[in-house]
Amino acid sequence: MNRTILHVDMDAFFASVEQRDRPELRGKPVVVGSGPNERGVVSAASYEAREYGIHSAMPSREAYKRCPQAAFVPVDGQKYRLASKIVFEIFERFTPLVEGISIDEAFLDVSGSRHLFGDGPAIAEQIRAAIFAETQLTASVGVAPNKFLAKLASDMDKPNGVTIVPDAPSDIIAFLAPLPVGRMWGVGAVTQEKLATVGIHTIGDLQSCSRAELARRIGAHAAEHLQLLARGQDTRDVEEERDREKSMSREHTFAKDCTSPERIQAVLGNLVEDVGRRLRADERTAKVVHLKLRWRSFKTLTRQQALQAACCDDQTLRETAEQLLALIPLTEPVRLIGFGVSQFEEPGGEQLLLFGDDSRNVEKRESLSRSLDKIRDTFGDTSIQRASAVRIDRNADEDGQTDALPRKGT
Amino acid sequence: MKFEIAKAPLLEGLQKVQNVVSLRSTLPILSNVLLNADKEGLWLTTTDLDVTVRCRVDANVTKPGATTLPVRRMASIIRELPDSMIEVEIDDKNQATFNCASSFFKLIGLSEDEFPPIPKADGNHTITINSGIFREMLRKTSYAASTDETRYVLNGVLLSFKSDKLTIVATDGRRLALIEQEVELPAEAQTDIILPTKAVNELLHILGDDGELKITPKENQIVFESGETLLSTKLIDGTYPNYRQVIPAQCEERVTVERESLLTAMRRVSLVTADRSSATKLTFSKNKLNVTMNTPDVGEARETIPIKYSGKEITVAFNPEYMIDPLKNLSNDEIYVELSDDLSPGVVKCDIPFLYVLMPMRVS
Repeated sequence: MNRTILHVDMDAFFASVEQRDRPELRGKPVVVGSGPNERGVVSAASYEAREYGIHSAMPSREAYKRCPQAAFVPVDGQKYRLASKIVFEIFERFTPLVEGISIDEAFLDVSGSRHLFGDGPAIAEQIRAAIFAETQLTASVGVAPNKFLAKLASDMDKPNGVTIVPDAPSDIIAFLAPLPVGRMWGVGAVTQEKLATVGIHTIGDLQSCSRAELARRIGAHAAEHLQLLARGQDTRDVEEERDREKSMSREHTFAKDCTSPERIQAVLGNLVEDVGRRLRADERTAKVVHLKLRWRSFKTLTRQQALQAACCDDQTLRETAEQLLALIPLTEPVRLIGFGVSQFEEPGGEQLLLFGDDSRNVEKRESLSRSLDKIRDTFGDTSIQRASAVRIDRNADEDGQTDALPRKGT
Repeated sequence: MKFEIAKAPLLEGLQKVQNVVSLRSTLPILSNVLLNADKEGLWLTTTDLDVTVRCRVDANVTKPGATTLPVRRMASIIRELPDSMIEVEIDDKNQATFNCASSFFKLIGLSEDEFPPIPKADGNHTITINSGIFREMLRKTSYAASTDETRYVLNGVLLSFKSDKLTIVATDGRRLALIEQEVELPAEAQTDIILPTKAVNELLHILGDDGELKITPKENQIVFESGETLLSTKLIDGTYPNYRQVIPAQCEERVTVERESLLTAMRRVSLVTADRSSATKLTFSKNKLNVTMNTPDVGEARETIPIKYSGKEITVAFNPEYMIDPLKNLSNDEIYVELSDDLSPGVVKCDIPFLYVLMPMRVS
């Protein structure tokens, strides 16, 4: 039996929440993130702001240049989390199979709910209606037989739209054919460039080119993976979590596959600080540290380590992540590195230890990290950095690489 | 091999040894019990290659011999048989037949040759202690051992035989339990060993209230013998942390409290915990202890119990489970809680050579 998967993506989530709560901002360009004179970046832009070419991860100063009249609003994580909670509770009414990807998007497997609530498009409309009724926010939904197609579809009629991908394989191939290859998961700037050199620009080009030719360019594994996706085949399950906010992570794809251990370590340090900062902003501590490495061949490794006690300071997280990294022989160029934490514990319940790390030490580490957060909140993300990160950045400039950390936008 | 045996003692013997056998064993022979019938009766032995348990059961052996049979299946059969004598015969293909009143069973076994060799109690010296006392010492400490596999040396209890004393210590890095008992130690028997948790649990299971327990430490191995029951185990190889350094030399305040009422209060308030990181707040004031638990999104609880105390008011937070553990394993009516402040370790003591050090939780 065919599956019915929905991808629900909130429209300009942070900005829409701000516009909802502050009527004076409605219909106006709104930029959520650092202020116009700060060295930080845009976390989210309203659709009005996007018309000026403003997008997430753009430096706020650049955003200001493009649209000085935009309202710059600081990020209010707590408010967005509350709205997100309501939205996810709505999802749960329609299916237990909900896979949250971030605070504002999720996959839902509604295959088993069709006899209760109607077919995929009907469920999509019911969910959108409930979200609007309960949060005054809009969402766009993709309805498809798998995750890849659902995700593509939700983006096709944004904001406030539903896109339905037909079930028949021939219809799927026709649906995908005109789309640029860059729309596919796993096809970033680098792969896109490689594909362009052999005349592949659309997913249709990818469907019709020979596997062997493709494999020569991007490797056999990646070729097989891409061609399956190009035909709209994706068997991944919607992996529900009991609690969607059970982990927090950041990933970085190198502009050029990386072979330098120092550089990998420095990027890892940045990812750790990013996750650590979010963890502290959420007033949480984590018990388990995860490391992810993807080789040039797309083969992916993950490693994890439980901490003695849940923590939220960068130093402990970084030390643990570096220990995990040191255990992996760098046999191949690294395409992507990721760092994450899970098993959150609410603060205020921190168990002190008998041996070694005495509580004062942990306190010191945490207070150092929090001081850095304050400096960065005030003066921008790059106002204070570890020396190793600065050195690597400088080298990167010489290589002509720009490895600005990706920021999850909305 | 042929013998006649009463149901009850055979079942008792099987229950003693079957715990050792892991449910998912890699080697089929490790799911089996080794049966040796000789003029002394029937010997039952099981092993997981780390821990080996053996016991003897009275039997009328008419034809001595040895074989191995799947222990869990055998125990479930014996359990259901009528309460009378069982005739057991094993042929040379290791097939066992059980005849008991009107019941007949046949079980397919494996040859005894495949069974791993049984360690012998042939160390240089043997320490003797009352079996019931030793079991109680383990019971009052072993719950504090770590279950975190990355902390290998803490996955067991320390047995320290020093200056005519046996000290047993268990810790997981957050709390530590220690108990002492005077024993006669030959000069050469001074030693520290770490006994793995699995062996501790087996000892708790097989040791009786009375009788002598002979302890024979060997290189990387220790053998416990109590009557006709023997347990042999590998030891944890490593250095136990210096536990003396974490026992506070002196605390500022001392509280006397009824063990049972504190235990009941802790159990009640812990009903509103959300997860294992929840903290219970204990506020000690003049002759009164308030135990409170407040969990966002769940609810709160408060218990008030009378204590003997005249010191300064102290509020300290503990993981309720860690507080309950010693309380439920001790048997004294009154216990003492020693404290200094909200971030220093608390110590539970009582009128036996026992102490329990517990690190508090930091709450904002």
